[in-house]
Amino acid sequence: MPEKPASDLVHIRLHPQGTTLHVPRGTPLQEILFEYGVEFPCGGHGRCKGCRVRILSGDAPWTPGEEEVLSPAELADGWRLACRSRASGDVTLEIRQWEAAILADHSSFEFRPGEGLGIAVDLGTTTLAAQLLDLATGDVLAVRTGLNPQAAYGGDVMSRIQYALSPGGQPRLEKLIRSGIGDLILGLLEAAGRGREIGDVVIVGNTVMHHLFCGIDIAPLAHYPFEPARDGLEIRESGALGWNIPGRPPVRFLPCLGGFVGSDILAGIIASGMHESMELAALIDLGTNGEIVLGNRERMLCASTAAGPAFEGARIRMGMQATTGAISAVEVSDGNFHCRVLGGVPARGICGSGVVDAVAAGLKLGVIQPSGRFAPHVQQWHLATDVTLYQGDIRELQLAKAAIAAATHLLLLRWQAERGDVRHVYLAGAFGNYVDRASAGRIGLLDFPFHIVEPSGNTALLGAKMVLCNSDLTDDFADLRRRIRHVPLAADPLFEDSFVDCMSFPEPGAQNEI
Amino acid sequence: MVDLTQLHDAILRGDAKKAVAVTREALAENASPTELVSKHMIPAMDEVGRRFECQEYFVPELLLSARAMKGALELIRPLLVEQGVASAGRVIIGTVKGDLHDIGKNLVASMLEGAGFEVIDLGTDVAPGKIVTEILERKPNIVALSALLTTTMPFMKSTIEELRKAGVREQVKVMVGGAPVTQQYAEQIGADGYSDNANGAVAIARKLVSG
Repeated sequence: MPEKPASDLVHIRLHPQGTTLHVPRGTPLQEILFEYGVEFPCGGHGRCKGCRVRILSGDAPWTPGEEEVLSPAELADGWRLACRSRASGDVTLEIRQWEAAILADHSSFEFRPGEGLGIAVDLGTTTLAAQLLDLATGDVLAVRTGLNPQAAYGGDVMSRIQYALSPGGQPRLEKLIRSGIGDLILGLLEAAGRGREIGDVVIVGNTVMHHLFCGIDIAPLAHYPFEPARDGLEIRESGALGWNIPGRPPVRFLPCLGGFVGSDILAGIIASGMHESMELAALIDLGTNGEIVLGNRERMLCASTAAGPAFEGARIRMGMQATTGAISAVEVSDGNFHCRVLGGVPARGICGSGVVDAVAAGLKLGVIQPSGRFAPHVQQWHLATDVTLYQGDIRELQLAKAAIAAATHLLLLRWQAERGDVRHVYLAGAFGNYVDRASAGRIGLLDFPFHIVEPSGNTALLGAKMVLCNSDLTDDFADLRRRIRHVPLAADPLFEDSFVDCMSFPEPGAQNEI
Repeated sequence: MVDLTQLHDAILRGDAKKAVAVTREALAENASPTELVSKHMIPAMDEVGRRFECQEYFVPELLLSARAMKGALELIRPLLVEQGVASAGRVIIGTVKGDLHDIGKNLVASMLEGAGFEVIDLGTDVAPGKIVTEILERKPNIVALSALLTTTMPFMKSTIEELRKAGVREQVKVMVGGAPVTQQYAEQIGADGYSDNANGAVAIARKLVSG
């Protein structure tokens, strides 16, 4: 690509964060803001207004379709859907989802104005996300994301544990993650301006991240019965973590739920509000380690299941992350398929949501059989000039989706509920945000009616923010945790049977009969 | 008379209901249990294995076919025992201490049964001492160990050491497998055989009992 002249860059100023981004003219706002931590609840299809931004200065014409979601008054007031807009000129904009109100979307969460500033951190196995909040208003003042520096020592939690057990391993991982989050916090503080004091820091993450951050012996998590010595609320002095934060706030790592299910899921439950409703709901986090919660305010069951990395595009021959050049969606119309490529460049790979879509499309077009095999005489499927879907890719997806579907099935069984009793399915995590719900249904990954499945974004960070704004420092959520029971799937004899049952794709027009 | 190619096809397709139904009907018609196994089920599983080798079948099909075969075998096994039919060999199989994963281990067990082995499944989280006791009592030809976690794989090594200490290591062949296990690791800990898939495990087991 020829280098663009400097004059073709435009400035996007984010208010009130004060950050200015320099981007090539014409870049979709979705690409710019996604990298900056903004989420697109409907997957960027212009179906919801979760990504709306308000143009405070500069010009950004609205595009056809936006008037179906935004009212004339909203459009006149400068509101636009980020997923439909491009950076056509210099603008200043504010991001709706970083204001306090969105926190209340799903639950009866009552915002309790506090004092000073707080920081919420989602400590993921792969990625880190941190937000700086004004505790008086609940507004997000700054956002920082980064990769978990421990990733150099293993991509998944088990390999991380293995490294931690090697001589000097655990202290090294602890040091890495503490300084990694410390750096993010420094970035947040710089954005906020010097001299502002921080009152509170809340961190959520899975059980392994909890142990590695807090310095709790990881050895019991290495093998059955996987019973951690300590998995409750951990409070540290920020100074003791090596962080020089004005105000020297305490740092809370929220408690785990059992097994590998940690406070990221606890936060997800809080964000979804499922713990306050009588209606039966499921929270599903589709990752390398799939996590599922099923229940209502009376009782909840949670489980984790090893889905493998297929949803993240790994172990897929031409798989890649959801970045420029990835096929992110495959649509079928009139017996033909059409690929959508991120960044509008020629496709050079396929990401998780693309794989799910491609297989759903292949099933529709008869290229792929319900057994998962290609149709006779099909060896591989060319999706684009340089991108091919291979037989082995479909197999990887089958294993991943069967793990999630079987875990869901088993929790329903243990809860003594029918699939039809579930009223809401909250999809957590980045993949859950981008996967097409119809395709996920078609391949039997989410065997629920389309309209009850709600992509819910980073519920871990959302829940952490709610805790930051709304709880006492010493709250260990004992009452909530008492209502949640962890179900160890590997020990359940029915799991394997259910896993095998869920392996094939549903026949056309049929839902999985399980 | 029931058409027994249906049994073969049902296993190949992974249709457990059909496989069980055909087997039940055949047994009611006094079909020979040994012939059901040797002429229909073993060839079907061999074909499943062949298709797996040439990448026509993958793990999902292997699991489905194994389940169909197992369903049929459960009806036949008591009769085989009754008639004292000789097996291809006796295998003790289990997932090592600290590990609860058994889908891969069960698949290997089923494939071995499908190939005519007598398989004693000790389940998961099996302590080395338990394996020693079973070797002394059951006199198997082969001990097959599985581990899925990188963190539990070292228990394969300690299990083999335990067999050596108890003086039973030379009485059996040890084969190992599971996601994190490699040929190199198998050799390093002194195992006799390794396979990275369930079908290959059958070939290894056949080789170990014949050698």
